[in-house]
Amino acid sequence: MRAGGNNLRIYLAGVKAALAARMAYRGDFFLSMLFMLLVEMGAPLITILIYRTGASFPGWNIYEALLVQGVFLLAKGIAFPFFFGIVWNTIERVQSGNLDLLLIKPKSTMFMAIVTAFDAEELGKLCGGVALFTLAVTRIPPPGLLEWAQFLALFIVTLAALFGYAVILAGLGIVWVGNFRVYDIFASITTFGMYPAVIFSKTLQTVITLIIPIAILGSVPASALLGRASPGTLGAVVLSIIFLLLSVGFWHRMLRKYTSAGG
Amino acid sequence: MNSLCLSGLRKRIYQGLRVLRAAALATYKEWAAYRSQMAVSIFVGPVYFLTQLFIWRAVFSTRAVVNGFTLEEMVTYYGISMLIGYLTFDSADWDLQMLVRTGGFITFRLRPVSYCFYAFCQKVGHRILAFWVELFPVYLIFFFLFKIKLIPVQPGWALLSIALSFILVFLTNFSIGATAFWLTKTEGVRRAILALRDLCAGTFFPLILFPRGLQKILFYLPFQFITYAPIRVFIGHYELAGVSLPIPEVVGLQFLAVLVMYGVYRTLWHFGIRRFTGVGA
Repeated sequence: MRAGGNNLRIYLAGVKAALAARMAYRGDFFLSMLFMLLVEMGAPLITILIYRTGASFPGWNIYEALLVQGVFLLAKGIAFPFFFGIVWNTIERVQSGNLDLLLIKPKSTMFMAIVTAFDAEELGKLCGGVALFTLAVTRIPPPGLLEWAQFLALFIVTLAALFGYAVILAGLGIVWVGNFRVYDIFASITTFGMYPAVIFSKTLQTVITLIIPIAILGSVPASALLGRASPGTLGAVVLSIIFLLLSVGFWHRMLRKYTSAGG
Repeated sequence: MNSLCLSGLRKRIYQGLRVLRAAALATYKEWAAYRSQMAVSIFVGPVYFLTQLFIWRAVFSTRAVVNGFTLEEMVTYYGISMLIGYLTFDSADWDLQMLVRTGGFITFRLRPVSYCFYAFCQKVGHRILAFWVELFPVYLIFFFLFKIKLIPVQPGWALLSIALSFILVFLTNFSIGATAFWLTKTEGVRRAILALRDLCAGTFFPLILFPRGLQKILFYLPFQFITYAPIRVFIGHYELAGVSLPIPEVVGLQFLAVLVMYGVYRTLWHFGIRRFTGVGA
């Protein structure tokens, strides 16, 4: 209990330091945050334009489709500022040799890599996620308590899956020195999670639900909230948990391979 | 007198070509060391494309035409957009703002070559490398795996249009970078302008999907000439906001947009460079 409180204190100190540093250029920070939000609205904008022309994703009305994207954006909005920064932090530190400074700290390296990577600009994503999610939820038939409970449980699994992705990408950054394009790899494969899974072929649906945890990032929790939980939901949850455990193992394996380049 | 001018011009062109060759080659060699980073596009590009394919297949399953586009045209649009993106991408904005912020720009003030020209040469070298590391493999994937034949209807006009887009992207990005003379840290401004640029250029989706009123505004902005116009030239017919134009006219307007953007860059540079002060570096 005391260790948990101590970790939280350390984490908050990291957040405070990151915020203070970013506030040196306040105007740029707020502009950056605002446009971070707007960039993330690309997929919802495509959805809106598609529905505006009279076309649609078969079986999904506009707000149901936007709900999937709202859930995805909300999850990213929590993950990116609070723990996904481990990716760029690790890549930068390996490149400059500064990862050594985290290795000698009396705390887990993974924890320290997260603590020193709070990304305030990414809070724009969170604002966008909250706005889009609220807009969609208020325009679908009100979900019951059971749907909300299922959704919340699945949303926690969504965050766990995103944590898994972050740790894997950061682990890759240890051996694939200086390659920030791991973000592009992540963004490309998770695009499938921004749309209702039913628009994809059966094979692809199986892949993104039961082999790589992508549907859990948007489609699965949104379906639960709409009262349409599919039989694959349990499989997606189990996969995400296995994925998380494997990702942590992968990180430690990659960290063992790290050879310092000085600093 | 005339022959003296001509010989001076010839000398300047020759010197410019030598700088272009040297800087492009150096950049090519430098980035070839990180070619695996570029090669990530061989995975990322087709995956993005596959997503678009599924999205639009689902949309077109309920109707044959969306805002004048058939499924085949829509898919082709995204394919060409991706390839043009590989050819025209650059980071002139980031490079310039970083040099201004860190003070590294001082060294460029001491060189007998304009920084803008040097940055352009760097882009040429970088994109030559991207041609065979990114574009060529992705083109083959589109051709053999997705069975999309991305062949321009009028190759000459398409090449000219892509070349103009190449210059236009550079001038736009360089102008964005020049804002660092006023703002020092330009992350937010860069993000803002790049997002608006891509949205108005038709990088995310065809501009014809926008409401008619918005299309009319976009028609008069130079951004459509970055992606949308070159794609329409590639396809062989141009239409936006209900206006159809012959291909030579589109390319002519694109040339005009390049001139306008050059004027914007010159103006920003003229006032911005006076604000620059640097120590050491």
